[in-house]
Amino acid sequence: MGLLAPLFLIGLVGLAVPVLVHLTERQRRNVVDFPSLMFLRKIPFRSTQRRKIHHWSLLSIRALALALLVAAFARPFFQSTEVAIGSTLGPREVVVVLDRSYSMGYGDRWERAKTRAREVFQGLAPSDRASLVFMGRGAEALIRSTSDRGRLLAALDTASLSADGTLYGPALKLAQTILEESEFPNREAVIISDFQRVGWNGDEGVSFPPGTVVEPVLISDESTPNTAVTSVSLRRDFFSGQERMTATARVVRQQGAERAERTVVLELDGQQVQTQTLTLDPTGSATVAFEPFTLANLYTRGSIRLDPDALPQDDELHFVLSPGRAMRMVVLEGASPRQDASLYVQRALEISEESSFQVEVRRSTTLSAADLATTDVVVLNDALFPQGATADRLRGFVEAGGGLLLVLGERSAWQTGLEEILPGRFGPARDHTRGAARLGYLDYSHPVFELFGGPRGGDFARARFFRSRDLEVGPEGRVLARFDDGSVALAERLLGEGHVLVWTSTMDAFWNDLAVQPVFLPFIHQLMRHLGGYRERVPWFTAGQVLDIADPDGMVFIADRTNELAPDVDQVALTPGGGSVALPATVGPRFLELEEQGFYDVRPPGTNPERVFTVAVNVDVTESELEAMDPAELAGAVVSRETGGGIGAGGELLTREMQAINQERRQSLWRLMMVAALVLLLAETAISNWISRAATMRFEDGRSYVRSNP
Amino acid sequence: MAVRERSSVQGAGTQFLDPVVLSRIGNLELLARTVVDGFLQGLHRSPHLGMSLDFAEHREYMAGDDIRRIDWRLFARTDRFYVKLFEAETAANFMVALDISKSMSFGTHAVTKLDYARYLAAALSYFSQKQRDRVGLATFDHEIVEYVPPSSRHLQLVLHTLARAEPGRPGTLRDPLMRLGDNLHHRGIILLLSDFYDEPQAVIDSVRHLRARGHDVIVFHLLDPAELEFTYDSAASFRDLESGTMIPIVPDQLAAEYRDLMAQHIQELDRLFTGSRIDYTVLDTSKPLDHALFRYLVSREKMNKVR
Repeated sequence: MGLLAPLFLIGLVGLAVPVLVHLTERQRRNVVDFPSLMFLRKIPFRSTQRRKIHHWSLLSIRALALALLVAAFARPFFQSTEVAIGSTLGPREVVVVLDRSYSMGYGDRWERAKTRAREVFQGLAPSDRASLVFMGRGAEALIRSTSDRGRLLAALDTASLSADGTLYGPALKLAQTILEESEFPNREAVIISDFQRVGWNGDEGVSFPPGTVVEPVLISDESTPNTAVTSVSLRRDFFSGQERMTATARVVRQQGAERAERTVVLELDGQQVQTQTLTLDPTGSATVAFEPFTLANLYTRGSIRLDPDALPQDDELHFVLSPGRAMRMVVLEGASPRQDASLYVQRALEISEESSFQVEVRRSTTLSAADLATTDVVVLNDALFPQGATADRLRGFVEAGGGLLLVLGERSAWQTGLEEILPGRFGPARDHTRGAARLGYLDYSHPVFELFGGPRGGDFARARFFRSRDLEVGPEGRVLARFDDGSVALAERLLGEGHVLVWTSTMDAFWNDLAVQPVFLPFIHQLMRHLGGYRERVPWFTAGQVLDIADPDGMVFIADRTNELAPDVDQVALTPGGGSVALPATVGPRFLELEEQGFYDVRPPGTNPERVFTVAVNVDVTESELEAMDPAELAGAVVSRETGGGIGAGGELLTREMQAINQERRQSLWRLMMVAALVLLLAETAISNWISRAATMRFEDGRSYVRSNP
Repeated sequence: MAVRERSSVQGAGTQFLDPVVLSRIGNLELLARTVVDGFLQGLHRSPHLGMSLDFAEHREYMAGDDIRRIDWRLFARTDRFYVKLFEAETAANFMVALDISKSMSFGTHAVTKLDYARYLAAALSYFSQKQRDRVGLATFDHEIVEYVPPSSRHLQLVLHTLARAEPGRPGTLRDPLMRLGDNLHHRGIILLLSDFYDEPQAVIDSVRHLRARGHDVIVFHLLDPAELEFTYDSAASFRDLESGTMIPIVPDQLAAEYRDLMAQHIQELDRLFTGSRIDYTVLDTSKPLDHALFRYLVSREKMNKVR
């Protein structure tokens, strides 16, 4: 029990007032005129007589009423949670939102959070109901609206930290739903979290029902020094015919006290390969580059590890690497090509950091099935479209997922039947009459130009086009770029699983000067990657993501998507924690939730399985930003704008205003005291009047005095 | 105690002596006549205690007049016959000294002390008029407020002055009584009506001045029953009527001490007045007036014997 305004207790001095009223005030009110006080003055003053109290009931009532008034103004309230909960009128619906993101693993935060949640559950009245909602990037209602305290406590005991990040919206939405579904008049939401700012954007759209008391419980530490491996850059290159990987890790330190040295270890397949030491400022970052290493095996497991600190989850970063495969493309020039017709294309594709393009230039338009089997993209550079079987193979190649690029020049010719393959009919070459044309429209939503959509993304407008072939785009075609005179520069058609693109000008410096523009190289790379179906490999996933292993497009890290993702084979996923998740062969998606940090092995059941692939899962590094927000901000945002909501106590860093609001909420006793005081005062009035009437009746009977000069 | 005595002269007309009855009579003269006639009717004694003749005027002799009443000296000077006309000679001057200080306005029943004193003064003035006394009146508080010199023709004036006497100011005895004594050149009877809220010695010093000038002084000490018995039982603030000061009083056990002090006060006054040969009577204003009238008659009888 506490007092909000203890200074009002000074008013208890006023308890003497009723006594004075009894002894003096009533006398002053009943004035008796007397001829002379000559004799009365001679009588010694008798204090005992003055103190004599005739009406103890009146005195008691007045004193009690005054004491109640003083106590009411002093605003008593219950400090302890148990008492406060017990004193709430009516049953309550309590939702405990427990943050179990991995940042709660900092120090002993998790245990403190569970202890606080346990206190809340233990303080429940028998008629109360409670729910336990886990908060991560998603939300999970582990126990929903039950009055079984045993279940709640058991669920709490078995709860463990996740590798997830923090996102307040889903959990608060879930809590809102539970509270809205409750028919109880008293609703409370206890949010136990470290209140990381990264999980809050202020636009979650959560609004608890009116009257809900929100009690944010901040689990924090005075200082939170932390070091984390935030990213790893993996660069491929070929040296002496071997593919080599170079790993560069970025380490970030925050809120440290002084400069410190940290040891960074590179592990491959569980073996410690390299160790480096770096010196970190109290708050700063550093990059550590490891020596290149040869990549020989599929699904090589790699890890960058720091010596652990208070938050060990972000001290390691895992990745999975497989030897790369260069994209192969064939450039067909025809029998008598123009000199250096493919030079610029070939040079542009040879220039690549990851050496991911292999280019073969042929002066022929014939392609065998074997050629196409190992080819990703075929480029017809100012050449006649193949005839006969080659044409059929080429069509089949595209329909199977290959890419075909037609670069139109003087020698390109239209043939019947091509309308089923190409995006449109192309016409004769023509010069742009008003000088050089420029690219006036680019479809930046297309993957080819998506890279150039941003600021400084590449200046296509500098390229001048003097001559081009007309292209009449058919209903199946899609224009990706136009010249400033409206004619088509680039068009696409989807054919089966593959793409056919038509570029209406040359790819050299003959009809235009695009090839000598800086934007040419990335343009050619993007063009070929799009046609070849290239997807950047993802070395790791983030905890909380869900994989559909039946979706080859999503499994871009898989080395052999065709074989390893056979839809008719049962799979099982072994989690980093040693558990297993069955992924039976079914029609449709097969989801694998990546909940844990580490490596997931996905394979068919059995002791010696084939077609095993591995997935690396890391925690979300943004979660290692331990900066806390003001819990009042969150609590204020979710409290209903309508009247009746409030913010509860319990947070260690609640503002004084919030505490006052909470105390105001918890000290409802003052109203009862005021009512009781009012009742007592009314009773006092009635009794006093009754006594006065009795005295008057005695006077009329002549047994008492009468006033002079009636 | 004198106030507790019951009059032995209860008679048929005594209902007209009840102050409650008298308070319903608005006319003082009628009241005085009612009181005196009723009292004397029950007394069955001659009210004439002595008479004398005094020259009033001359008139011409008329046939049938007693020739012994012819003034021969005047006949010698004027050569005409005149007879002397005489009026009855009064016995004495009867002067009422009435205290109209604020304390006299107190009363806890039908009449206040001043009312009672007013009735008493009117009745005795009327009675004295019938005795052919010259009646006069002096009302006073701390000074003489109204003064009606004694005269055989001043009864109406006395009654009128009595009727409009209003209490209002604090009072003392010494100054007004000294002044009154200086104004009265002929000895007579002075009836002093007061509640005597002063120290007994101061009271007797003031009254003794009148006695020293040869006046016969009759003192009526008027007290309300509440002043005598102090019957209050509830705590209250008691306000002095004259000074206005207030004292919180819880009267339960204080009443006994008050009654003792009042009794001592009366006894002391009685002792001092008696020692100065002054008739002193305490009158309870709730009692009929016959006791006061009887005491007056006794005093007059005693004075005549002395003379």
